[in-house]
Amino acid sequence: MAITEKRSPVRTSTGPRPRPPGRRRSATRPRMLPWAMIAPAVIALLLIQGYPLVRLLVLSTQDFGPRSLFTGQADFVGLDNFTKIFGDADFRAVLVRTLVFTALCVLLLMVLGFLISHLLMGVSRWVQIVTTVCLVLVWAMPMVAATLVWQWMYQPQYGVANWLLTKLQVFGDLTAHDWFSHPNQALGLIVLLTVWKGLPFVALTLFAARGQISESLYEAARLDGAGTLQTFRHITIPIMRPVLAILTILEVIWSVNSFTPIWVLTQGGPDGQTTTLGVYAYITAFSRNDYGSGASIAVVTVLILALFSIAYVRKLSAQGETR
Amino acid sequence: MSASMTPARRRRTVNNIIALLVSAVMVFPVYWMVTTALKRPGRILSAVPQFFPWPLSLDNFARALDKPHFWVFVRNSLTVTLSSVVLSLIISLFAAVAIARFRFAGRKALLAILVLVQMIPAAAMVIPVYLMLRSINGLDFIPGLVLTYMTFVLPFTIWTLRGFVEGVPVELEEAALVDGCGRFQMYTRVLLPLLMPGIVATSIFAFVNAWDDYLFAYVIMKSQSNYTLPVWLVSFQTSESVDYGAMIAASTIFSIPVLIFFLLVQRRLVGGMTSGAVKE
Repeated sequence: MAITEKRSPVRTSTGPRPRPPGRRRSATRPRMLPWAMIAPAVIALLLIQGYPLVRLLVLSTQDFGPRSLFTGQADFVGLDNFTKIFGDADFRAVLVRTLVFTALCVLLLMVLGFLISHLLMGVSRWVQIVTTVCLVLVWAMPMVAATLVWQWMYQPQYGVANWLLTKLQVFGDLTAHDWFSHPNQALGLIVLLTVWKGLPFVALTLFAARGQISESLYEAARLDGAGTLQTFRHITIPIMRPVLAILTILEVIWSVNSFTPIWVLTQGGPDGQTTTLGVYAYITAFSRNDYGSGASIAVVTVLILALFSIAYVRKLSAQGETR
Repeated sequence: MSASMTPARRRRTVNNIIALLVSAVMVFPVYWMVTTALKRPGRILSAVPQFFPWPLSLDNFARALDKPHFWVFVRNSLTVTLSSVVLSLIISLFAAVAIARFRFAGRKALLAILVLVQMIPAAAMVIPVYLMLRSINGLDFIPGLVLTYMTFVLPFTIWTLRGFVEGVPVELEEAALVDGCGRFQMYTRVLLPLLMPGIVATSIFAFVNAWDDYLFAYVIMKSQSNYTLPVWLVSFQTSESVDYGAMIAASTIFSIPVLIFFLLVQRRLVGGMTSGAVKE
């Protein structure tokens, strides 16, 4: 799927479409043609997605250290890597931190995104355009550039943030305050950056989805005396549930795997206290040269995400049936 | 004046003000990036931030462009990004047409796999991809990065293009066949032009994906002459005394093509996602 931090809206697009009529000529078409047409894609996917995935699973059961890099030999150790990482207090702390970080990011993204999309429905046309352009600019800003700009904004002596916050007297005097030397504050900034960067995608997608709901539904509800919260509960949220579900799953995946902002702002520090799963797998493999354990951390990540996605999708489809 | 407003108009005015405030807060970092880049170098490190860069200066840009190897990094980034976009588009166009226009055994399985593969986190795949490229001497080698980007974006590009192909009425193709076109001509003369908007939107995603990737480029590209722009930008920041003016100017140069692309195709990007999702 995405390389890091991609925000792509169209990927889960279009559900099954009705098959256009009059397409029964496949018998007259060359049989091998479709296979020839998809072959390059299938080969590429097998080589650079399928094989590495298998390799990842195998690697997670191997003791693959620096020497294995040169000999190519690695001993199979069964589930030792997994018992090792779960016995490691650092890993458990990383796991909990990742869950908290993800929950915070996704909750903020979905709630704020929903509110902004709702706000956009009730503004003048020109304000709609201005807000959309501002959101698109944030969305389009490359993550690497965004992270560097945040680092500059929160620079202790000359950053605009410390100056503004001190002027506004929100947290007292912050002159020369170094956010990145306090783990919780650093993590808070990373959450803020992630939410800021992800918000336009969520808000604009929900706004587009909201625009497809017929206004007559709301008029009817208003005639029946429904307030704003009731229309959310009974009209907006039920109809937008598929979009909300897809967005939530995507944001969970992206938050869990977030790498660039954390790596660039804190390198996981101070003292490993802003490390999340994606960064921890990276550090274990590439800094400690323990590729086997790094792979097992990655496998745990994939499993958590897979279980979450499956459970979530099943719960949604179950709700859909009882409705 | 507010006395003459109806409640509905007043509510709209309040909404407008809130929306403009939200926009200002959201867009501030972008504004700060551009204005910092345009400040005279002496005005960047000041105890009181300068909110308006007047008088404008291109000095930061000049220093960024003057950094050793800057144009090498630009060339590397452009080479990697454009090749992976072109490759993935060609491959996924064929696959998308096959999936949209033919019924063949395994078609449904292929669709399911395309969806599932997108769920696999890239951060998890970087370890085996690194080891695999290492074992075939593909590290620090631009085609290795191209192949990686090309493949990671494939599930997305195939899936999206398939949707666009299905949006083109099959009758148009049949009419072309009746008029004596060959199959190949039918695709190049009828289908391809109609697909252009979809191809543009899809390729911009593939572009941004590769252009902005830091993790893979950082892991795979080891020697400085092979750095892409993101890797270089981040290495900029870790040097002892950061030249913030040049760093932010370089970030601005790096962002501008993406900002322009997005503003141009924004509507299509958002529309694609919701078109099938809500109506069911």
